[in-house]
Amino acid sequence: MRNTWLIIKREYLERVRTRSFLVLTVLVPVLMTGFMLLPAKLVKMGEKAQRIVIVTTTPQVGDAVRQQLLSSMPSLADDDESSAGEGSKKKPEDQYILDVDANPAESERAALRDKVSTRAIDDYIWLTDEAIAAREVTWYGREMPSPRERAWLAAALGRIAVQQQLLGKGFTADQADSMLTPVKIERIRIENGRETTGSGTGRFLEIAVMIMLLYMAVLLYGVSVMRSVLEEKNSRVIEVLLSSATSTQLMAGKLLGVGAVGLTQILVWIVMAGAFALPALAAQPNLSELRVSPFALASFAVFFFLGYLLYSTMYATIGATTTTEQEGQQLQFVIVIPLVLPLMMLVPVIRTPDSPAIVWLSMVPLFAPILMYARIVVHTPPMWQILLSFVLMVATVAGLLVLCARIYRIGVLIYGKRPTLPEILKWLKYANA
Amino acid sequence: MATLQSNPLPSAPNGGTDATVVELSSIRKSYDEFVAVNDLSLRIRAGGIYGLLGPNGAGKTSTIRMIIGIIVPDSGQIAIFGKPLSSRLRDQIGYLPEERGLYRKMKVLEHLILLGQLKGLSNADATKSAQRWCERLELTSWTSKKVEELSKGMQQKVQFIGAILHDPKLIIMDEPFSGLDPANALVLKDVLLELAKSGKTLLLSTHRMDQTERLCQSICLINHGRAVLEGDLQEIKASYGRHNVQIKYNGDSAFLQERRLVQSFNDYGNYVEVHLAPGADPQELLQLAASKARLSKFELMEPSLEEIFIDVVGKPNA
Repeated sequence: MRNTWLIIKREYLERVRTRSFLVLTVLVPVLMTGFMLLPAKLVKMGEKAQRIVIVTTTPQVGDAVRQQLLSSMPSLADDDESSAGEGSKKKPEDQYILDVDANPAESERAALRDKVSTRAIDDYIWLTDEAIAAREVTWYGREMPSPRERAWLAAALGRIAVQQQLLGKGFTADQADSMLTPVKIERIRIENGRETTGSGTGRFLEIAVMIMLLYMAVLLYGVSVMRSVLEEKNSRVIEVLLSSATSTQLMAGKLLGVGAVGLTQILVWIVMAGAFALPALAAQPNLSELRVSPFALASFAVFFFLGYLLYSTMYATIGATTTTEQEGQQLQFVIVIPLVLPLMMLVPVIRTPDSPAIVWLSMVPLFAPILMYARIVVHTPPMWQILLSFVLMVATVAGLLVLCARIYRIGVLIYGKRPTLPEILKWLKYANA
Repeated sequence: MATLQSNPLPSAPNGGTDATVVELSSIRKSYDEFVAVNDLSLRIRAGGIYGLLGPNGAGKTSTIRMIIGIIVPDSGQIAIFGKPLSSRLRDQIGYLPEERGLYRKMKVLEHLILLGQLKGLSNADATKSAQRWCERLELTSWTSKKVEELSKGMQQKVQFIGAILHDPKLIIMDEPFSGLDPANALVLKDVLLELAKSGKTLLLSTHRMDQTERLCQSICLINHGRAVLEGDLQEIKASYGRHNVQIKYNGDSAFLQERRLVQSFNDYGNYVEVHLAPGADPQELLQLAASKARLSKFELMEPSLEEIFIDVVGKPNA
């Protein structure tokens, strides 16, 4: 135990003290933020507000329409299916510039057409009293209005038309407004008898974060474990270490030490992300939907940690059986394939998390970190399934660790060429006890 | 240089008794067809320096690795201080492997402290001991350098300190002098002798006979994985008798061709070492030689370890 702790400490300090650790820790979030913000910025730069002229018979109707349109902009947060893909959150005034023109003459129509052609304005909407009464309105523009914009206009005008009629029948403006109040739909998911308000996209995001972090941890730190095993073998320091500690202690110390480095880095990133992103998140009206249940959070931590251990033990085993980094990298597909496969199963898992095939696939230790976690997020599976996959993973990690430690110990005796699989099996026999 | 001050480390009070420190009983280790160690038994008593000799590939390193527990014998028993190896006993052993190796990026002092702690020392004790030994071996100005900045010879010294800084009762060194310049080899030899005098048990593996002959009290000579000679060095030499003659001469060397008296000879130019034929009388050779050449020296020699070695195992293949 003491030896394992000493190895953990060494592996941790040796890595955290290096300059590359510092650079990576600071640079990755900067780059990530850049990659995420840059496309949105580029789109924004090319995008100007759309200038629309509303042609009405009287200025009063024109202003009413303008107000109504501005207060019911499309693509705003009241429907969250669209808010996930929405990169540009803008005020309506920035997105559209609406001008009222109370001169519905044919000459004006020609003038507006010219303005559209010369790009002085983008669109005009012919909205005379007759047009409203006939419920037939025309949108002229260089580009066709999108379905969403048409729906927006139709809803706003429908409301205006009804309002006009109500006012005509002697209702006050307040009465008309209260009659026209739209119905708001609140959606509540029932999960294990508890009510949550999470949306599908929020769930997908949680799974994506897990996959991203797991990939990063495995690819960054797993490789680091492999490299350090190779270094110990090649520099022959392993023999001195083995005279003081068992190979299992050394291996466990290495995995946990490097893992702690990864955890430190991820924590730093989370703190940095929190510091920068929290004000932005607070401005987000549907923040409550991003809230993750404590159980999901705990299972995230557990499955992430076990996933890291499993995959980096595999990396360590590759390191123990090879002699150079190139050879090791050739064998990496053994690790990458089981890491990528769950991605392909993700859509069926989210649709039918309880189908028998998926239940059993999510028990396979190599897939469990992603699939079982995805199932927990989508629809919490029965406890025995979670526990079974947990136990299977722990057992696999422990078994692989012992196996790897043996190969590592025998690796002392081997120089030069990479051993074949039968040879490795023989080593395991030599390393009995 | 080799300051001959007394060992600054406290020594275990177990000097020179008859207690057995290492006992191997018919151990055997094979890799596939190749038998590295075959039915080897030996006993190392407390105190003094024990030499494990043999040509390259004889099974020395495999034997040592089994004693320290890096590999496990296929059959046979190993007892250290009378007990099977355990992690507690491991802390009583210092080990210098033949293949030297240190973490290249670690600083010298930190590395030594790590090795000391792995052997059960506290941080403070490991630091103190590492600093003392660095002073003794003139590495003090290098303690805050990274291992990779040191020359090979200095790295050897660091590794050597790593093997002894936890004050082990049993010190096992595989080819301790390889790669050291003569001055540092001398320092190392002094330290080894000092450790032996303070009651430690040293097991040296080497194929260099001259050092073994001067340092070791007991030896085990192994070849093809088997012990071919084991015991007290003086007794072994005595049992081999005096069949060697060293002759310095000028002139006709025809007497060397006298097959009846000379079994073989080794001419060094200045002088010649003659191995007498079985039953030959050295007096007769003296008369023959004196009649043909001018002699400045004629000495009946105790057999050197090298000769015994070659006699037992044939020509070494290195």
